Amino acid sequence: MKFNKFYILWIASTLTFSGCDDFLDSQDYTGKNSTNFPSTTEDVNKMVAAVYKSTFYGPFQGNNLEQYFSVANIMSDDMFGGAGVGDPWWQGLDHLMYAQTNQMQDLWTYSYEAIARANSALSVIDNIADEETHNQTKGELLFMRAYNYYNLVLTFNNVPVIEKAPETVEEAQIAPEQRDGKEVLKLIADDLYEACECMPSYPYDGWSKLAFGKVTRWAAETLLARAFLFYTGFYGESEMPKTEGSINKQYVVDKLDDCIKNSGHDLLSDYRSLWAYSNQYTAKDYDFVNDMLEAGTCYKEGNKEVILAINFQYQPAWSNKLHLTNQYGLFFGIRADNNNAGDERFHVGTATSVYPFSTGWGCGTVATNLVTDWKNIEPDDPRRDASILAFPASLKPETFSDACELTMYHNKKIPSVRSAGGQRLSWSLDQMGADATETGNYQASNCTPLTVYRFADVLLMYSELMQDATTLNRVRNRVGLPAVAYSEQALRNERRWELAFEGSRWDDLRRWNIAGEALAKQAGQVMYNCGKPTTMPEAGSGYKQRYNETKGFYRIPKSQIDLSGGKYKQNAGWEDDAKTQFAGY
Amino acid sequence: MCIKTIKSWLASALFVLFASGSPGFVNGGGNIAIAQTQYITGTVVDDFGEPIIGANIRVKDTTKGAITDLNGKFSLDVAPGQIIEISFVGFSTQTVAAVSGMKIILKEDTQSLDDVVVVGYGVQKKKLVTGATVQVKGDDIQKLSTTSALTAMQSQSPGVTIMQNNGQAGEGFKVNIRGLGTTGNSDPLYVVDGVAGGSLNDLNPADIESIDVLKDAASAAIYGARAANGVILITTKQGKSGKLQISYDGYYGQQYLYKAPDVLNAQEYIYSRQLREFNGGAAEPEWQAKLPAAIYESLFDADGNVLRNGWKGTNWIDESYHKGAVTQNHSVNLTGGSDVSKFSFGFSYTGQDGILGGENQSQFDRYNMRLNSSHTLLRSKDNSYSVITVGENLNIVHSSRTGISQGSMYWNNVHDLMNANPLLPVRDADGNYYTNAEMSADGWTLGAAINPLAIANTTSQGLNESNSWTVNASAYLEIQPIRNLIYKSQFSYRFGNSSYRAMTRVHSSGTNVATQDNASQSTDSWSNISFENTLNYRLDINRHNIDIVLGQTIEQNKFGEHLEASGNNLLFGDSWNHAYLDNAQIKKLADVRVGGHPTSDSSLASFFGRVNYNFNEKYMLQATVRTDGSSNFAKGHRWGIFPSASAGWVVTNEEFMESVRDIMDFFKIRVSWGQNGNCNIPNFQYLTQVGFNNSDAYYFGVGNHEEATTGGSFNVLGNPELTWETSEQLNIGIDARFLDSRLGLTFDWYKKTTKDWLVRAPILGVYGIGAPYINGGDVENKGIEFSLSWNDQLNNGLRYGITANMSYNKNEVTKLTNAEGIIHGPGAVWHQLEGEVYRAQVGQPIGFFYGFDTKGVFQNGEQIRQFSEKYEDKLHGGNDKLKPGDLIFRDTNGDDVIDDNDRTMIGDPHPDVTVGLNLNLAYKGFDFSVTGAGAFGQQILRTWANQDFLTENLNKKIVYGSWKGEGTSNKLPLFDGFDTPNWKYMSAAMLENGDYFKIQNVTLGYDFKRLWKSCPLQQLRVYVAANNLITFTKYTGMDPEVASSGGTSDSWAAGIDTGVYPSPRTYLVGINLKF
Repeated sequence: MKFNKFYILWIASTLTFSGCDDFLDSQDYTGKNSTNFPSTTEDVNKMVAAVYKSTFYGPFQGNNLEQYFSVANIMSDDMFGGAGVGDPWWQGLDHLMYAQTNQMQDLWTYSYEAIARANSALSVIDNIADEETHNQTKGELLFMRAYNYYNLVLTFNNVPVIEKAPETVEEAQIAPEQRDGKEVLKLIADDLYEACECMPSYPYDGWSKLAFGKVTRWAAETLLARAFLFYTGFYGESEMPKTEGSINKQYVVDKLDDCIKNSGHDLLSDYRSLWAYSNQYTAKDYDFVNDMLEAGTCYKEGNKEVILAINFQYQPAWSNKLHLTNQYGLFFGIRADNNNAGDERFHVGTATSVYPFSTGWGCGTVATNLVTDWKNIEPDDPRRDASILAFPASLKPETFSDACELTMYHNKKIPSVRSAGGQRLSWSLDQMGADATETGNYQASNCTPLTVYRFADVLLMYSELMQDATTLNRVRNRVGLPAVAYSEQALRNERRWELAFEGSRWDDLRRWNIAGEALAKQAGQVMYNCGKPTTMPEAGSGYKQRYNETKGFYRIPKSQIDLSGGKYKQNAGWEDDAKTQFAGY
Repeated sequence: MCIKTIKSWLASALFVLFASGSPGFVNGGGNIAIAQTQYITGTVVDDFGEPIIGANIRVKDTTKGAITDLNGKFSLDVAPGQIIEISFVGFSTQTVAAVSGMKIILKEDTQSLDDVVVVGYGVQKKKLVTGATVQVKGDDIQKLSTTSALTAMQSQSPGVTIMQNNGQAGEGFKVNIRGLGTTGNSDPLYVVDGVAGGSLNDLNPADIESIDVLKDAASAAIYGARAANGVILITTKQGKSGKLQISYDGYYGQQYLYKAPDVLNAQEYIYSRQLREFNGGAAEPEWQAKLPAAIYESLFDADGNVLRNGWKGTNWIDESYHKGAVTQNHSVNLTGGSDVSKFSFGFSYTGQDGILGGENQSQFDRYNMRLNSSHTLLRSKDNSYSVITVGENLNIVHSSRTGISQGSMYWNNVHDLMNANPLLPVRDADGNYYTNAEMSADGWTLGAAINPLAIANTTSQGLNESNSWTVNASAYLEIQPIRNLIYKSQFSYRFGNSSYRAMTRVHSSGTNVATQDNASQSTDSWSNISFENTLNYRLDINRHNIDIVLGQTIEQNKFGEHLEASGNNLLFGDSWNHAYLDNAQIKKLADVRVGGHPTSDSSLASFFGRVNYNFNEKYMLQATVRTDGSSNFAKGHRWGIFPSASAGWVVTNEEFMESVRDIMDFFKIRVSWGQNGNCNIPNFQYLTQVGFNNSDAYYFGVGNHEEATTGGSFNVLGNPELTWETSEQLNIGIDARFLDSRLGLTFDWYKKTTKDWLVRAPILGVYGIGAPYINGGDVENKGIEFSLSWNDQLNNGLRYGITANMSYNKNEVTKLTNAEGIIHGPGAVWHQLEGEVYRAQVGQPIGFFYGFDTKGVFQNGEQIRQFSEKYEDKLHGGNDKLKPGDLIFRDTNGDDVIDDNDRTMIGDPHPDVTVGLNLNLAYKGFDFSVTGAGAFGQQILRTWANQDFLTENLNKKIVYGSWKGEGTSNKLPLFDGFDTPNWKYMSAAMLENGDYFKIQNVTLGYDFKRLWKSCPLQQLRVYVAANNLITFTKYTGMDPEVASSGGTSDSWAAGIDTGVYPSPRTYLVGINLKF
C-alpha cells in the first residue's frame, strides 16, 4: 500500500520529465510573427497600411517637428523658426544650425521604418491575385519608398540604402554603407518610373474608385516631376539617371501632360476653398470667407484639386495616439502664452481676435521678407490675405510673453481651425457630428487633411518644363490676376505665392541655386522675442555662409553615427559641433 | 468590500478550519506504549522566575509530551533519566534528563547558534550555512507595526535595498539584492512556503514566521532559473503540537504629514515673479489686468503695492491634507494540534487611509486568511518518525485600493499640489471647484493654472479603485519509507483576479480638460500551477554528515484573461458610485473602447540536486546544480545549467582554538561561488514579431476619420539565439561570536557579475525595425556587508541589545555589445524639452544621471573674465551673455568649448551605502525599541521645480536659496526663471544629495501580565509606537526615499522625484493578547 502510492507518484513525475520540451512550447494567441505572416491578401493590405502610417504619421510619434514638410518650410526663406523661448531646435533649424545632438533623428528613423515596411510589403506583393489591384498597390509602395528616400536625401544627402530586412541580430548590428546622395536619387528614379508605368489610371471622381488618402498614379507623376526638377537643377544636369538608362525631360513632360489631361483633377474656382478656415461651420463667424457660404464654395475634404493629402484620424480627447491626428495644426498654430484656456484672442468679436486660427506652439512664424516681397511684386494678389494672417494692431507683441521670432504674421494654411465663434477648439468636431457641448481638445481634435500635392503645382511644373506661360496663367487666372509672359522670374514668383507654406519652397530655392541669397534676406527683419523687439540675427556663420557650407544638407543625428560604430560620415558644414550649435535666445 | 463578502469569507474560512483542523483539538491521541514509566512533575520559569505558560515538554524521539499550566507546572509519564526537551517560542530549547520536581529555567533566545534557517528545499543549522543569507524573524517584523513586511525589513537585512515606490497606502516596493544586475525585471524571486512566485506585499506581517534572504549565488542556486536577482523565502506560521494558542494583535494609529513642502504663499509667489524680472527673466505680470478683481484686491492696495497682511493665497497641501488619517491592523492567529494533526490559522485585516488628496481620500484595505495544516497518516513502527504526512498551505488575500495619481510629472497629484498657483482659489462662491470656466468668467488671464484638487476629485487621477483577490493553495504528500529518506511531492495552484474601475467627470482645469464623462473598467484573471517532487536523504556515519536533495519541478502560467472597456456619456455623470459601463450611453464609436487578450503561455521545467557534507560540524561543503528550461527561448536554446559550490570552516571547532574560546565562541569562514539564471523577458522574442495595433493604423476615405485600417508590420526583430542571462557570484564571508555570544559579527564580501545580460539595446535606425532582445552585456556589482550585534543582560534584569548593519555596493556596466555601448533613457522625464536624463553606459552604474557637470556659480565679473580667457560657453549663448549668478558649466571633453558634447555622468540614483540600526531594551515587563534605516550616496532629481511649471508655485528653498549676490550661493544659480540656461539644462546643480537616515519606529510596551498575575492570558502587552518619527536629510523634497523612475517604464531608473507621496508619520497604540 505504502509502496504503491510511492510508485504511482514516481511514474507520474517520470512522465512529466519526458514530455519536457513539448511542455515548454507556447503559442501566441493575439499576435502574429514571421512564421505565419503574411498569409492572406488582407495581411498584405495591413502591411500597406503600416507603410502609409510610418510615411505620413510616423515622425510625429516622437512629438516633435521632424517631418520633411515642416523642415522644408522652416529652412526656407518664408518662415522663421518661431515657437517659444525654450525651443532652440526650431529656431536653429531656420539658421541651418542644430540645437540638440540627435536633432532630426525622427525624420531619419521613421523614414527608414517606412522603407523597411515598404520593402517587406513589396517582397510579398505577388500574393495579390487581381492584376489591377496588384499594380495599384505596388505603385503605392514604390511611391512611398521613393517619397521617403527623397526626404532623406534632401535632408541628409549621403544615406544608406536598405534593400531587405536583416535576417539575424548580427546582421542588424552591421551598418550598411552610406551611399552618395546622387546614387540614391537614381533608385528614387527607378521606383517612380516603375510606379508611373504600372499604376492604373483612375481619374478623379470624388474618390469613389480609390479612397481619399491613397497614393495615385497622379501623385507618382507629381513626385517624379519634383525629383526630376530637383536633380537637374541642383546638380546642373539635363537628365535624371536611373539604374539603367535615365529619365529625360520629355518623359516628365509626358507624365505631367497625362496628369493634366487624364487625372480629372482641376483647379477649384476659389483659392480660399483649398483651406480649412473656409469650412461651413467656421465661415459663419469669419468675415473673410462669409461670402462663400452662399456661393457654396466652402472648404471640402478630398476636393478635386488635391492630388495627395495626409489623411488624419479623429481623437476627440487627448490620448497616446496624438500622432494619428493633425499635429501640424498644433505645432504651426499661434502661440498662446501658456494660456490655452479662456484666452479671448482665439474668440471671434474681440479687438485682438485671431479667430478662427487656433492655439499651438507657434512654430514657423511668417518671415516678414516674404510679406514685403509679395506686397512689392504682386500687390493685388488676393492669395496673400488668403495665406497670411496679419495680427490685428490691437494685439500687442508684449502679450506673447514667451514667444520667439514673433513677426505678428502667421500662416493660415496649416493651423488648426476653430468654429462656433472660437468655443470649439477644432472644427473637426462639427464635421464629426459631436455634441454641441463638446469643445474638443486643442492638441488632439484636429483631423483636417494636410495637402501634400495639388493640381496647381502640376500646372506650374509643366509651365516650368515647357518654358511656356499657358498653364502658369491658368493658375493666375483663378485668382483674377492678369496673364504674364513666361520668364524664369515670373515662374519663380508664381510658385512662391501660389504654394506658400506648402513645403515646396525649400526645394525650389536649392534647385534654382538661389538659396543663399534668399535666406540672407531673413537677417535683420524685425521680430519679437518674449515681447521685446529685436531683429533676426545672423547666427553661426550667417545664413548665406551656412548654406554655402552645407548646401542645405542637415546634420546626421549623432546617435546614428555612434550606432554605426563611426562608419557614417558627418555631412560637410557640420564637422564642428561647437560652431554649428544654436544656443537659443 | 461589502459586508456580505466578509460574511461568506468568514463562513468558508471557518468551515475549512474545522473541517481540516479539528483533529488538532484532540490532544494526546498517539500511541501509548513503553512500560516502566512514572509521572514526574516540574516547573518551567523564565529568567525572572516567572512561570512560563504553555511551554512544550517532549520526551526525546517520541511523541510523548506535555504542556505547562498557568503556574508553569507540568507532569509527564517518563522514566527518570530519560532525555526531555523543553521548548517555548522566543526561548532557547533545552534538553535535560528528567528528574521529578525539577525546575527548568528557560533562557530567552537571542540568536542562538542552534538557530535554524530556511534554505531552498529544506532547513539548515545557521552555524553550518556556507552561503550568505540573512534571516528576519516574523516577530521582529510584526513588532514594527507596519502595513507591509518590506518596510520592516529595511532596517534588518543588509545587502537588500528596499525602497518603497511612494508613501501612499498599498504601494509596492523596489527590492534589489546586492545591486542592480539588469535593465529588465530586477525583482528577487519570492518563494512563499515553498511555492515560487508569490508576493510579500500580500501577506500580513502577523502571518509570517520568518523571512530568509538568499543573497549569494550558491545559496540561491537551488532556484537557479530565476535566482539571478536573489531569492526571498517566506515561511508563514506553521502548526505546532501542543496547547491551542490563540493570539490577537492589533493596533490603531493616526497619520500625519512629516514634512510639508516649502511652497510659496501669495506674497512670496509675487516676489518670485518680481525676482525673475529683476534677474532678466520674463516680465512681472500686470497683476491688475491678469487677476480677477476680488483676488487682486485681496493682495494689493490701491497703489498697487503688495499688502503685507493680504490674503496668503491657497496652500494646496493644507487644503488636501487629512490630518490624523487612520491606520489600523487586526489579526487573530490560532495554532495548535497533536502529534497527528497540526494547524495554524490566521485572519487579519489591515486598513490605511491616505493623508493627501482632498475629499477623495486614498485608501487601502487588505483582508488575509491563512490556513496551514499537516497530518500524519502513518507513523513508523517504533513511532519515532512519520512515514506518511499530508498537508496544505492556503492563503487568501483580498485587497482594495484607491489612490491619487503618482506617475510622471504630468500624471501626479502630489506634483500638482506642490506646484499649484497660490493665487488660485480652491472653490468659487457657489462651492464648486475653481476651474477654467470660473477663471474666464472672473477674468483670470495670468496663464493656465490647474486646480489639483479638482483634478484629484473629478478625474481618473483620483477617481479610481482597484481590487484584487489572490488564492495561493498548495498541498503536499511526504513519505519517509525508511528513516531519513524523505520523498515529497507538492502541487500548488495559485490564481487570482484583479479589477480596476476609473471615472473622469466633465471638467476643465488648465490643459486637463474633458468634455465628456467617461467610465472605464478592466479585469484580469491569472493562474499558475506547479508540481514539484523532491527526494531528500540524510546520512550520518560517525562524524560525517551527508544530506542529499534531488528534485524536479514544472511550472506553468495558464488560464488568464484580460478584459477592458471604457465608455463615454454616463447616465450618472456626477456620481463615482454609479461609474460603471452599463451607465455609459454609447452614441458613437468614439465613445467606447474595448480590449481583451489571454495571458500568454509560459512554462518552466527544472531538475536540481544538492549535496551537503560536513565533518563534525567543522568542515562544510555544498554543491548544487540546477538545469532549467524556459518557454521564453527557441528550441535548442531553452536549457541552462547553473552550478554552484561552497565551503565553510568553523575555525573555533579546531583544537588549536581551544585557548581563545573564552573570548571567541565561534568563528566561521565561508566561501561560495555559483551561477544563477534569469529569463525574465516577454515571450516570443525569438521570433520576429508582427505588430497590429490601432496606433499603427492609417485612415483612408472622406469625412469619417474614425474607421482606420489597422497596419501590420514586423516591429521587433526576432533573435532565435536568445538564451539565459547568467549571474555569477563569488562570496567570502565570516560569522563570529564573542564573549559568550553576546557580541556577534557577520561580514561578507561579494562580486556579482551578470553575463549575457538580456537587454534591448538600440540598433541602427536604418533597419526600420524595433531592437531585438540580445544577450548583450555584462554588469558588475561589488560590495561588502557588515553586521554587528551586542546582546546582554545586566544583573538587575535589564536586557538590552543593539544591532547595526551596513552594506556597500558598487555597480558598473562593464560591457554592452551594441556599437554605441549605451542604452538611452527617454526624453521629457525631467521636463518636456530636455532629452535623456539617465542612461546605462559602459563604465558607469546603471541608470546614472546624465547631464552637465557644474563648478558652482559665477560670483563676480572677474571670475567670468578669467573663465573667458580659456573657455567659450555655448550653453549660455556665448560668453558675452554670461553674468554673475550664472552656473559655471564644466568642460568635460577638454575642447575648451562648453556645449552639448560636455554632458557626462553627474550622479547615481542608487545608494552606495545602506544602514540599519536596531536598539532593544527590556526590563520587568517593559520593552522599548528603536529602529532606523538609512541610505547614503545617492542623488535625486526633482521634477517639481522646473521650466514646465514656471508660472506656477516653486519651492521656497529654491527661490530663496538661489544666488542673490556675491557669496550667497555656489550651488543654485540666480533665479531668472526656469526657462533660462541656468535652469533648463540637466545639470549637477539640479540634483540633490539624497542621503537620509530615518528613525522608522520607536516602540514602548508593557506586559500587564506582570501586574496582573492571575490574568488568564499568557500575554497582555499594550504598546505605543511612532513610525517614521524623524528623518535626517538635507533633501528639500518631502521624502528622500525616492525609488520612482519618473513615470517611465524603466525599472532600472530611480531617484526621480516627480512628487513622491510622502511616508506619513504615524502614532499608534497596539495590543498583543495571547491566550
